[in-house]
Amino acid sequence: MAAPQLLPLELIDKCIGSRIWVVMKSEKEFVGTLQGFDDYVNMVLKDVTEYETKGDTKHVTSLKQILLNGNNICMLVPGGQGPTVACS
Amino acid sequence: MSEQASKKTPTDFLNGILGQRVFVRLNSGIDYRGVLSCLDGYMNIALEQTEEYVDGELRNRYGDAFIRGNNVLYISAL
Repeated sequence: MAAPQLLPLELIDKCIGSRIWVVMKSEKEFVGTLQGFDDYVNMVLKDVTEYETKGDTKHVTSLKQILLNGNNICMLVPGGQGPTVACS
Repeated sequence: MSEQASKKTPTDFLNGILGQRVFVRLNSGIDYRGVLSCLDGYMNIALEQTEEYVDGELRNRYGDAFIRGNNVLYISAL
């Protein structure tokens, strides 16, 4: 009796239309509404907040809609609220 | 169903922003603002009326600029 399997990209496909937290390989994070993605996990995000840590300083940028290059993505957290909520 | 309709793949997004003003951030942190004249599947980008920002400060202006896709962190519609 095989356990029902969900492939990683199937999980991400289920997240389309909902908020997602993207953690990059470098000190960068994005939170936005996932609109779509492709085989390279390049992602289209809406109503995005970019979090960037440079040493001690943290930069926050708001963006309406972006196409994020999948090359530097490390982790995806479905429904994630971003670093501010996770750490508090 | 409505979720399906709002689905927007990277290709759809790119087709939708051709000819518009865009904001491109590279992995190095350098930003470019300009009119997107063309691009391809590698995220290679050709911009017109390009402004180059380093640490948020305007450093240069170029009539035309080509950005090799591997350097692109994201492309944002303005």
